[in-house]
Amino acid sequence: MLNGGLETDVLKILSDDDIKKIHNASMRVLEEVGVHVDDEEVLSLCEQKGARVDHEAQRVYFNEEIVMGAVKTAPSTVVLYGRDDDAKNIVLGGKKVYLGTGGTALNILDFDRKRRPTTAADIAKTAQLVDALENVHFFVIPCHPSDVESSDVDVNRFFHSINNTTKPIMGGIFTEDGVDRVIEMAAEVAGGRDKLVAKPFISFISSILSPLKVDSLRAKILIKSAKAGIPLATSVAPLAGATSPITLAGTLVQMNAEALVGVVLTQFVKTGAPILYSVVPTIMDMSTMSFLFGSVESAMMNAAGAQLAQFYKLPIYATGGISDSKQPDQQAGYEKAITALMPALAGANFIHEAAGQLDSGMTISYAQYVIDNDINGYVMRAVRGIEIDEDTLATEIIANVGPGGNFLTQRQTVEKMRTEFYYPKAATRTNYDGWVQSGKKDTWTLAEERAKEILKKHKPKRINEEIVNKIKEKEPGIVNV
Amino acid sequence: MSLLDELKELVVKGDMVNAVEKTQKALDEGLVPGKLIDEALIAAMDVVGEKYKSGELFVPEMLIAAKTMQACMEKLEPLVAADELKSAGKVVIGTVKDDLHDIGKNLVAMMLRGAGFEVVDLGVDVAAEEFVAKVKELKPNILGMSALLTTTVPQMELVIKALDDAGLRSQVQVIVGGAAVTPEFAKNIGADGYAPDATGAVNWAKNCMTGSK
Repeated sequence: MLNGGLETDVLKILSDDDIKKIHNASMRVLEEVGVHVDDEEVLSLCEQKGARVDHEAQRVYFNEEIVMGAVKTAPSTVVLYGRDDDAKNIVLGGKKVYLGTGGTALNILDFDRKRRPTTAADIAKTAQLVDALENVHFFVIPCHPSDVESSDVDVNRFFHSINNTTKPIMGGIFTEDGVDRVIEMAAEVAGGRDKLVAKPFISFISSILSPLKVDSLRAKILIKSAKAGIPLATSVAPLAGATSPITLAGTLVQMNAEALVGVVLTQFVKTGAPILYSVVPTIMDMSTMSFLFGSVESAMMNAAGAQLAQFYKLPIYATGGISDSKQPDQQAGYEKAITALMPALAGANFIHEAAGQLDSGMTISYAQYVIDNDINGYVMRAVRGIEIDEDTLATEIIANVGPGGNFLTQRQTVEKMRTEFYYPKAATRTNYDGWVQSGKKDTWTLAEERAKEILKKHKPKRINEEIVNKIKEKEPGIVNV
Repeated sequence: MSLLDELKELVVKGDMVNAVEKTQKALDEGLVPGKLIDEALIAAMDVVGEKYKSGELFVPEMLIAAKTMQACMEKLEPLVAADELKSAGKVVIGTVKDDLHDIGKNLVAMMLRGAGFEVVDLGVDVAAEEFVAKVKELKPNILGMSALLTTTVPQMELVIKALDDAGLRSQVQVIVGGAAVTPEFAKNIGADGYAPDATGAVNWAKNCMTGSK
């Protein structure tokens, strides 16, 4: 069937020679240009581990030996766990493909089709929705709760996610003590910190800024996360033409260097710490200075990113299923399809932002999650590929039916008709009359209907009430939704 | 579970071999053929229709159930006196002249048989004169015509005119379908009915026979 984790690498947008050239160029950048780090703890650590550090300029330089040493000690497979449900685990690495949500939006296009700021309730509801959508394999916390005190944002984001889905959860951290408080809360749910670290159902995102910069808050999140043994994505988001070269090749060189900085720093903190080669390559619209998410160039660079990660034998956090359109429309459809399909066919492991997101990541929509679930279904079907064996070649069946017959009532037809094709749930596939009779509904409307139904009926496995009370005692800033 | 229920379930599942065997067993145990037809076979196809409507079954499963029902019917028909055999209605069906497409038409024929209709399938490339001759000879309740091509749909109007000319139009209900046919077209050429797919055709035919179309 179409479970997450199917494998492929049929798309090769880079040749082996291209990969070598990008690698060499990235090594030169890390050794000669270096990385700005405005955190003395990290600079000292780098120096202690043998990197060349210029404390005054707050610059650290990594040679190839150091970088490749870290690449070697970083795990080739990182498992993100389902909460109390191993069927939901995602095993990142190699050519395995999973698609899931991404963050962090500030607005939602609600069922009334009006845009409003997102709240804690939207986190709970999107988690509940994703919990039921079979082609969304993980939950990156998608939005910012505007109704919560800023000091309590992190605990609220993670609490309402954990309480509404058992799929693996990942999220950015917005406060200095956020990592500690979220880990403590998750440990309570897991039944102890050792249990959480053994099977982490939460993971963190801490960005490295393009070009080539690590700031203090994010460095602290990185250190805490790596020390605690919680998986980490050090998202790097070069914006071609603005924060990286205009050429896709140059952006890949810088992106690769930045992604490897995340790997090196976490390995410096703790050898073997679970880290993802994390990339969000994008472009800028040079005619307007708009940040663009859903471009074909982004799709190409994410596919290239998958090849680079495979070259280093590191699991990749890539980006796909993204759009700059403001509502679930034609532009959203083609941008999402292209940007999800290309990295997937290249074997990108953790394709985030691939559900619910619109408006360059600034707006989410319940209906869009349902539409993207179908897009992801198409993508996973393509990842599964065309199985060739004696049975599927069906020569005997062709002979049995003979010229002029039909295959409708062949046993194989019935056996395979539900699995050989993917059936989208929010699409019109009837003839014109059928469409007219069912009310001439477009995809947006069909998806809204399905989203409403799921939110009404689906009951995710909640956190045990006793534990909820304990958590809320410690974290009184967690709001009720 | 009673024998009737078991047979019904086998037909729903489309398990032809066991369904035919079960039919024989039911006869051996003295069950009346008419009862078997009504309470197991036709009842099974009603269940199949429901399950299709709800999305649980796909078309091939419905066809296989219909074929299974047919196979059981073949065992029972010789045992039932002609006037006892309650047919849901008689249908003559065919693809119009110059059109060789028959998957849709075959589907409709199979589904109608599954619903208890007696179906005479004239095949493909059927000329107006042949339709008229068969209507005259067999006196069906319903005539079904199919066309896939925009170039062959005008044939349907010719057939209806020919029925008119032969004075047979009032004796038979005409339903048309196929990719190139629209409800407006059906109305314009004077057909009585139109269906976009096989289940639509069966529903129309059922309603037609009970006079509630």
